[in-house]
Amino acid sequence: MLSWFFCILLLGLRVTESQASGLAPPQQVRLDADKAAQKLSVTWEDGHASTFDVEILRTELMEIVLNETVGVTADQSTGKHQWNWTSPVPLECTSLSVKVRSRDGQDVSEWSSQQILPGLDLPDNAVAQMYPEGKTVPVGSDMTFCCIVEEGQQFGNLWYKTLQMNETMLSRRTYATTMTIREPSNPSGTNVVCSNEKNIMVTGAVVFVGYPPLPSDLVCETHDLISVDCQWTKGRNTYLFGKTRQTYYTLNGRNCTKAKNSNMHCGWEQWEGNWTLVARNPLGQFRLTDAAQLGHRVRPVAPVNLTTPEVYSWNASVGWHWNYNGYERLSLICQVQRTSHWNSSTQTYTGHGLTTVVLKDLQPDEEYSVKVRCGSQKNFWKWGEWSLPLSFQTKMDRPKAPDIWVWMDSDNLGRVLWKPLTKRESHGQVSGYEVTLWSPEENGQQTFTLPQSMYSHPINMTDRGSKVTVTARNPAGVSLPANIVIPRHLPDTEDTTISKVAFNGSGFPLSWVAQTNASCGYVVDWYNTSCTQDCSVEWTKVAADNTNTVVQSSNFFAGVRYTFSLYACSSESTVLLERWHGYMQELVPSQAVPRLSPNQEGSDVQLTWDQIPLEHQRGFILGYTVYLTNASHLTLLANITDPQLTNHTVRQLVLGSYKFTVKAYTAAGEDGGATVSISLDPYTYWLILELLVALGAMTCVLILITIACYRKRKWVKKAFYPEIPEPKLPGDWGITQGTLDVKPSPHSMVHIVEDPVWDSSKEALVSVPEEDEEGTGDEAADTDEPAVLRYYNQVVEEGSSSRGRPHASDSSASSTGSMDSGHTDVTYTGIQTSACSLAHFQPQPDASQCAGDGGYRPQMQSASCPEDPQAGPEEHLQPPVGSFGGYQPQCSWKQDSPEADGGLDQAYLGSPTSVTSSQFLLPHDTSSEEGKEHPSSASTWFHNLLTGKP
Amino acid sequence: MSGHVKNMCPQLSISQAARTLLSLLLVAAIDSVSAGVVCRKQPCGSSLQRSLKLTKLIHKESVDLLKTYKVSQGDMSELFCQMSINNVPDPNISGLDPSERMLSIYSHCKAFLPHLKRVTEQQTDLQPPSSALLSKLSTAQNRTNGLANQINCIYQTFFPNLPIPPEPVDGPTSVPPSQNVFQQKVYGCVVLKRFKEFLSRVTRELRTLKSQVCTRRTSFADTNALF
Repeated sequence: MLSWFFCILLLGLRVTESQASGLAPPQQVRLDADKAAQKLSVTWEDGHASTFDVEILRTELMEIVLNETVGVTADQSTGKHQWNWTSPVPLECTSLSVKVRSRDGQDVSEWSSQQILPGLDLPDNAVAQMYPEGKTVPVGSDMTFCCIVEEGQQFGNLWYKTLQMNETMLSRRTYATTMTIREPSNPSGTNVVCSNEKNIMVTGAVVFVGYPPLPSDLVCETHDLISVDCQWTKGRNTYLFGKTRQTYYTLNGRNCTKAKNSNMHCGWEQWEGNWTLVARNPLGQFRLTDAAQLGHRVRPVAPVNLTTPEVYSWNASVGWHWNYNGYERLSLICQVQRTSHWNSSTQTYTGHGLTTVVLKDLQPDEEYSVKVRCGSQKNFWKWGEWSLPLSFQTKMDRPKAPDIWVWMDSDNLGRVLWKPLTKRESHGQVSGYEVTLWSPEENGQQTFTLPQSMYSHPINMTDRGSKVTVTARNPAGVSLPANIVIPRHLPDTEDTTISKVAFNGSGFPLSWVAQTNASCGYVVDWYNTSCTQDCSVEWTKVAADNTNTVVQSSNFFAGVRYTFSLYACSSESTVLLERWHGYMQELVPSQAVPRLSPNQEGSDVQLTWDQIPLEHQRGFILGYTVYLTNASHLTLLANITDPQLTNHTVRQLVLGSYKFTVKAYTAAGEDGGATVSISLDPYTYWLILELLVALGAMTCVLILITIACYRKRKWVKKAFYPEIPEPKLPGDWGITQGTLDVKPSPHSMVHIVEDPVWDSSKEALVSVPEEDEEGTGDEAADTDEPAVLRYYNQVVEEGSSSRGRPHASDSSASSTGSMDSGHTDVTYTGIQTSACSLAHFQPQPDASQCAGDGGYRPQMQSASCPEDPQAGPEEHLQPPVGSFGGYQPQCSWKQDSPEADGGLDQAYLGSPTSVTSSQFLLPHDTSSEEGKEHPSSASTWFHNLLTGKP
Repeated sequence: MSGHVKNMCPQLSISQAARTLLSLLLVAAIDSVSAGVVCRKQPCGSSLQRSLKLTKLIHKESVDLLKTYKVSQGDMSELFCQMSINNVPDPNISGLDPSERMLSIYSHCKAFLPHLKRVTEQQTDLQPPSSALLSKLSTAQNRTNGLANQINCIYQTFFPNLPIPPEPVDGPTSVPPSQNVFQQKVYGCVVLKRFKEFLSRVTRELRTLKSQVCTRRTSFADTNALF
């Protein structure tokens, strides 16, 4: 009951409020959508108010999109109210509900009936979609894309390019994302795609992002004096392509269909004076204007049909045509560009309707190419296009006079030279030359016709003083003559100073003192200095008021010496003034110094060489360096800075072999060098002198010795030939075996020196007379005697003494010792030749007979002494100990080896271990002596020689 | 065949292994010679070999074309070809016997042509005039047309008694009426992808047809020669 009361109360209050405001709600609300522009137009009637509340909601989720109060007046004609709204979200994305109510201050009417703008996410449209699609927007726009997923699927993600975007749910199937697009798109647009919950792309859209057009520099001109041709610059790239997005141009409202890509041209057949260019694309348009009078915008077209009506040697006329008749009255300025193989120049001509010009200062027989362009002389605007080129060739003319010169090879021969005419000088193909010799003495002339390939003519001594005239000929005629007088005398080169000149990179700079007689200037000629015959001579002529020049030529080569000669030219002759030598570039000599030879002068060696030939010098020789070559190492000995000096002496060398290298050097360096070897020999004179001195000294010594020996001859005789005492026979000495009845040679002596003690360092033997022991003091004289045969053996016999009389056992023992040991020294002097001594030792078969006799016993010659040569020395030299105490001269000596059966000399002298004793002259029978005579003759002679016997 | 060879050389008294080897060589030689002779005898100058070479060329170019297409369509274009699009010809070749399969190849060539043309038109509005994609699309159209003509010629030569295949008419694979830009991109990608797959199948099919048809005709000719 109570609730019913409240309801009735509220209803009553509301009715009271409506009736109190008096505002009627809008009627017939209607929605019109421009989906491409995302604009919604709301129209209603019966609203007497001028202010309305408009509320827009997303129908499905009932979310308020817009709720604002707007002022809208009614259209006078229709009485309807219209309000437009631009949705940030494409209208297709979801359904929108719109309602309107009138407002008058705080009074509001009832809401109108809700009108719904259906979206494309309704269930009956089940496919996936994305909006907006294919829209073109400027860079920097804020864009909202919505994705309507397929019915039955779930939304996944939204991607702009490769960026995953944050989404907003607009309806059950619709999700939207908003972004600011800051970069222009590529020609095919920027992709925005939508995926489902399985991350599979389900739909997408493309947006084209670019700029509105921005052309510039609109310029209109006329070519034909009637029509207009406008040009402009395309300007900023719009990044928009395709028929619906590209930029379109209009000129004064007319479409410029040819204005595409970079060809920004548009024209009209009539000159209008004012032009407006409009550039338009989906993002906007841009307007350019231009205005000008026709006469101020004339840019002539290119002349056509160029011709050369008249062509001469030095000038020609060029004509052309205009495609438009209006040019006849137009004051034109034209440029004619002519190009030849050596030059290009442009000349300017003016005139009304100019169609012909005359080209001057052309070269004969030259091919030219000309082209023409023109502009309006009055109110010049721009040059027109160049015409197509036209080529023509001028006619020939007679050549220029040749440049001639006279060059004397020698006293009797010379040549008249002239330079080949260049193309600019020949004025046509030269067919030949004529050389005329004018002899003033004979008052005659000789003319020689030469082919075009000849550039010189020989002259001889008889032509001296003659005037030479040279002319060149081509099909157009003969040149002016070139004259020169052949000098009567050769220039005196000895009195002419020769200087060096250096190349400065471009040429040889020459300067000289001005000469008063140089009436027709100076001539500088040059040639290869090392050239001797048919040399190539070049020259240049210098005006009389110049005193310097730079000689330039393409024929200068490095390493070649050139001689430059300066002549003063007069009408009578030429006078040599000065000469220079120069190299364009100095190089090291190409050849080592020739004929390098050494010459020994005592301990010095003098090196001499020749100068390098001029053609191999390749630079100014500054000097020579002399090296001592040791293997590959060079030791500098001398640096000769005088290039004329071609010898050098190396002093105080010791004997030995030497290698010397001499190198010539220029400013560029040293050459490879020439090497020579020498072996220093001892000085011959000194050798001879030394030899003579030695011989003299020896002679003096011999003389002194001879004198001394002569004065001391008694002593010498006593020392070397002491008297041998005759053996004293104590008793019956008769033995059946014939005792030799031969007295020993009175001067034969045997000295047996026995050192009591062995001294290995003792090399000399003491000569002791057998009975006179005085000789012991003359050992020195004994050793100095060259004729004495000495053996150095040591008698190793304990208890033996030099004072004791030698006995046989000692002798035998010593002999035995000498054969057993090398420590035995034995000296024998005064050895007598004996047949037995040369025979083999034979022990006496009855030695026992003498065993008991201790006194001196003369040696007996055994008959069988030479008959048992096979017996061993041991057994022969080993007599029974103590069996023979007296003196027993040794019979013979024998070689150590029983097998060795050497000759006499070998046995006597050869073996250091052999032993022999003095041979006493023992008698022997004739038969045996005869049998032994022959083998003993050589030893006898030798023995005599040693002993001084004849 | 080997029996035939054996009869040709009864007088050879060589070992069994050598005889077998010789037989194999002769079989291979006669086979190749016969096939060449039969195929060269085709009055239509385009043989299967020529068509096969042309197909290989178009297939190679289609691979490059698809790659160029994807590059020129912007980001995420790799995914375009994965979307399903109706009305684009299926790349599969249908038919049971060679004549039907050859006819299917011909029909597919003809069916792809309008789609290629449509893609070319669409891309002309999306690419600068100097784009390489446009020239490649144009080339693909021309070569596909030539291949269709060659297939038609071969079909008429090999199967003279069968009716000439009619020109395909608009059907389920006709060109779509209108598409937005995104749909155009997806459509072009799918068309080119299926076109490439179709050419791959055609290459294999022509190899098979070459062996089947030529061998059959050779055998048929040999049989006629024997009897």
